[in-house]
Amino acid sequence: MTLNQVYNGSSIQQVMELLKEYKEDAKIIAGGTDIVVAMREGKLAPKVLIDISKIEDLSEIKVERDSIEIGAGVTYTQLVENGAFGKNLKGLIKACSMVGSPQIRNKGTIGGNIANAAPAADSIPPLIALGARLKIGSTRGYREVLLEDYFQKLKDHGLRNDELLISIGFMKAKDKEILSFSKLGLRKALAISRATISMLIGIDNGIIHNIVVASGSIGKFPMREIEVEKSLLGRSIDEDILDLAVDSLQESMDKRLEGRSTLPYKRRAIVSLLEEALRESNIYRSEVKL
Amino acid sequence: MMEIQLIINDINYKVDIDVNMRLIDLLRDKLGLTGTKEGCGEGECGACTIIMDGESVNSCLVMAFQANGSNIITIEGLENNGELDPIQRAYMEEGSVQCGFCIPGLIISTKALLDKHPNPTREEIREGMSGNLCRCTGYNKAIDAAQKAIEYLKEGQNDFKNSW
Ligand SMILES: Cc1cc2nc3c(=O)[nH]c(=O)nc-3n(C[C@H](O)[C@H](O)[C@H](O)COP(=O)(O)OP(=O)(O)OC[C@H]3O[C@@H](n4cnc5c(N)ncnc54)[C@H](O)[C@@H]3O)c2cc1C
Ligand code: FES
Ligand code: FES
Repeated sequence: MTLNQVYNGSSIQQVMELLKEYKEDAKIIAGGTDIVVAMREGKLAPKVLIDISKIEDLSEIKVERDSIEIGAGVTYTQLVENGAFGKNLKGLIKACSMVGSPQIRNKGTIGGNIANAAPAADSIPPLIALGARLKIGSTRGYREVLLEDYFQKLKDHGLRNDELLISIGFMKAKDKEILSFSKLGLRKALAISRATISMLIGIDNGIIHNIVVASGSIGKFPMREIEVEKSLLGRSIDEDILDLAVDSLQESMDKRLEGRSTLPYKRRAIVSLLEEALRESNIYRSEVKL
Repeated sequence: MMEIQLIINDINYKVDIDVNMRLIDLLRDKLGLTGTKEGCGEGECGACTIIMDGESVNSCLVMAFQANGSNIITIEGLENNGELDPIQRAYMEEGSVQCGFCIPGLIISTKALLDKHPNPTREEIREGMSGNLCRCTGYNKAIDAAQKAIEYLKEGQNDFKNSW
């Protein structure tokens, strides 16, 4: 290892100054569950490591009346144990509670999951469905970027080497909205057998009033599934909405994954994922007061 | 080199560490606390599980310098004045141990679970142990041991109350 300098970060400001000083030589370490493995495999060889796991300002979940802001250093366990995520946000809690093992959830952070940008990062589809925005800071100032755009144009929007991901913010789901999450395959399973779907659906008098759908491991990066949204918007939940969703997602996949060997398998796999997500929307709906 | 301060099993330590060291290297190689085992070295097997600031973690995925200021419990910290912890006793009595390599990690995961949820269901115990692999046993005996430990811990509390 080439590592020769380490810092116990004590404030956001201090970390941003260290990043400015060391730039590409430095790496942030939060839970370490991705980066320690990467360093040992020789995939990453930073000269400087800056630990952010003990910075309190990064590990807070701020709950306002209409919005929630999750510090980048919040762990999966912290999120799952926080009572502020009402029943209609169950999809986010479900995604976090299915990550790795208790030990991984106790250390792994939401910020690490996003900054690491793996296609199979589980917290990302539900956060995209919620319209989450990232708050990113450096000594040059702060900027915000929509999580959905972040992955679309990672080259333009991705973290620069002097930048720190500070928090992830979103509006709370409304009373009549439900966030679902469904997942297929383990993280280490072959890429072909992995996929996740998260949906935020608002229903009014039995009609799908608003809908956001996001997927993980179905494309090159986590993304919105706009065609699925279009196919379901305005429909009655008594219609055959599963068929509509399956047809439109398969059509998008046919274009996106044309010629890939994974396509035939994934075309079938998403049927059960969409079914689970829609079923959850209905089950959860009965628990949310309408 | 760098000096860090931490508490391990209720003892204060000031130690010089190499910046490249992981917490498991500090525990085993520097401090001789070899009860914590290294299996996979990549977060999959749980043999290296310890309790750090109240939560179970894989010590193979923590850099030693990150433990600066932390409070750590390892398997060596469980016995009390020569008496085994009730969880250790339950593992022995239930015959939950074969080769033993995974056991320190399993016992620490059991402790972390029971510290937070004193009354877990069998399913919750299984989930609490899901980050620990055992190549010898079928996990059922470890779950039996956890259930027995729950009883011991309750009795212990009653004994404590009775002695007042
Ligand atoms: C056994 C095992 C099982 C796993 N299972 C899952 C799973 O089921 N689902 C899943 O999604 N993931 C899984 N992971 C991957 C990993 O646990 C997650 O991606 C986790 O969220 C990473 O967070 P961390 O805090 O540990 O990141 P770290 O390893 O500390 O950092 C990861 C990367 O992000 C950067 N970074 C971290 N925080 C910031 C910040 N605030 N600002 C800028 N850069 C930052 C670091 O520099 C590094 O490059 C698993 C990992 C292991 C070892
Ligand atoms: S050695 Fe740490 S999890 Fe296997
Ligand atoms: S007893 Fe041998 S690995 Fe568990």
